[in-house]
Amino acid sequence: MGRFASLCLVIILVAMAMEARFEAGAQQPAPARSPSAAKARIYFVDLKDGTTIPSKVKIRFGIENMEIAPAGIIKPNTGHHHLLIDTGLPPADQPIPSDFNHIHFGNGQTEAEITLPAGEHTLQLLLGDHAHIPHNPPVVSEQIRVRVDAATVEKTRTPAPAGASVFLVEPVDGATVGRNVKVKFGVSGMDLAPAGTNKPNSGHHHLLIDTPLPPLDREIPSDLNHLHFGRAQTETEITLAPGEHTLQLLLGDHEHLPHDPPIYSKVIRVRVANAAPEKAAQAAPKEGRQPSPPDAAVYFVYPTKGESIYPNSTIRFGLRNMGVAPAGIAKPNTGHHHLLIDVETPPLDQPLPSDLNHIHFGNGQTEKKITLSSGKHTLQLILADERHIPHDPPVISERIEVFVKTVRKRSRRR
Amino acid sequence: MRHGRFATGLLFFSIIALAPAPTPLQIAPARAMDRVASAPSAQVYFHYPVDGLRVPERFTVKIGLKEMGVAPAGVVKPFTGHHHLLIDTDMVPLDQPIPSDYNHIHLGGGQTEVVLTLPQGTHTLQLLLGDHQHVAHQPPIMSKKITIYVR
Repeated sequence: MGRFASLCLVIILVAMAMEARFEAGAQQPAPARSPSAAKARIYFVDLKDGTTIPSKVKIRFGIENMEIAPAGIIKPNTGHHHLLIDTGLPPADQPIPSDFNHIHFGNGQTEAEITLPAGEHTLQLLLGDHAHIPHNPPVVSEQIRVRVDAATVEKTRTPAPAGASVFLVEPVDGATVGRNVKVKFGVSGMDLAPAGTNKPNSGHHHLLIDTPLPPLDREIPSDLNHLHFGRAQTETEITLAPGEHTLQLLLGDHEHLPHDPPIYSKVIRVRVANAAPEKAAQAAPKEGRQPSPPDAAVYFVYPTKGESIYPNSTIRFGLRNMGVAPAGIAKPNTGHHHLLIDVETPPLDQPLPSDLNHIHFGNGQTEKKITLSSGKHTLQLILADERHIPHDPPVISERIEVFVKTVRKRSRRR
Repeated sequence: MRHGRFATGLLFFSIIALAPAPTPLQIAPARAMDRVASAPSAQVYFHYPVDGLRVPERFTVKIGLKEMGVAPAGVVKPFTGHHHLLIDTDMVPLDQPIPSDYNHIHLGGGQTEVVLTLPQGTHTLQLLLGDHQHVAHQPPIMSKKITIYVR
């Protein structure tokens, strides 16, 4: 009780003191304002009202009929820029505040790189004199509204310990391999953890096939060239077309973001021999196809035919009158999904190919996040039995077209 | 049978309650079944219907599963399970096999959708993934309980 009373007293005292200070401030004569030149104007050079900008953006300031001088230099018809973010104009007769919403460019800068969170923002320029006070009349730009694209917001990267590395155990650089390649990964100095598990000094593998390192400040793409091993797997089997290929490992953190510094292996080259006969495919048709129930159907829950989707989209599968079973499980009226991207329907009497255009869901998955380049793509679902052979009659979806939207990327200008 | 077990359970419980010292906490693990680990960030959810929807008497429930796979009952494979649809019932004990009755529909064939016929009125639906032995994973993968109106 006594403590509460004293607390109240303190609050009242503080409030009184603040009031007194405000009064004192108001009574103080306004500092003298420097006159501005006639027709003086400041403006955003390459930013227009209503544009969408990346999260990290370089802004250029323009000035006409006046000169830029660093803060502290007293010279007629000069001033320095102040960028007002998400705020209105401050009092014209007081020094411009210096905080997150009022950025000073006291060294006379005429451009700045700023980082804004996703969403709508307002930007405005205000010239201040040597003492950061707006001129008389004030030289101010129009207030513009910008929208920051959420896809461009940088995430903070997880630090990696010094000396950590990832490497390919198998195949070795320069090896000649068959079409089905077993790839084994190694990591040293760090732990493996499944995606989504935020544990220090850990990550999961990403295998880059025939592609350079992606941008290191954002999520590693999930597509045909960037395979994720989100369950902390240390090996996989991939099918490669005959010819030369490159393989590289890149560790990602719980959010699939490369570490800081990034942990990646050197690029290795493998050659797939042209004459590798597909024994599995030849042997398979002997075994015959599994019957499917007459009313079974596989379909897309998302996206639907003709839909416009984002480059990173989760494709969701639906299955009617049959069940899902992982690959290798022989059970009547079950199968596992295969997603065919940008390819014609393959032959139905042999195992479906396993490559970048024919994605197998051998663990019984019913959805998958994939990354597609912008533009038109075709998607098709096909169910297949434990040996990846389609059923008889085949349980196959319509081949749908989707349109992948273009998302503005961060400009690489420095 | 179930009533018998329930009665035994009650009896057992009352004995414990009467007994002076032992902590009831020690009893539960003794009868609990081993639970299989679920994948982190796995989620089960309704594609259809969604919470608050008005549906006809006969409709198809469509089930989505994120970050895990579907496998028929009996299949032992990490990070897989099969769906159970709980109708008008509260969440079941998670360390026991999910009951199989009109309120607990097992989709043991690996199905990802099921046709339901429900009487008119308000009903609740909830999804729970079960492992090869119909036991919930650890941590359990369950959807939120949704309410639908059958017209």
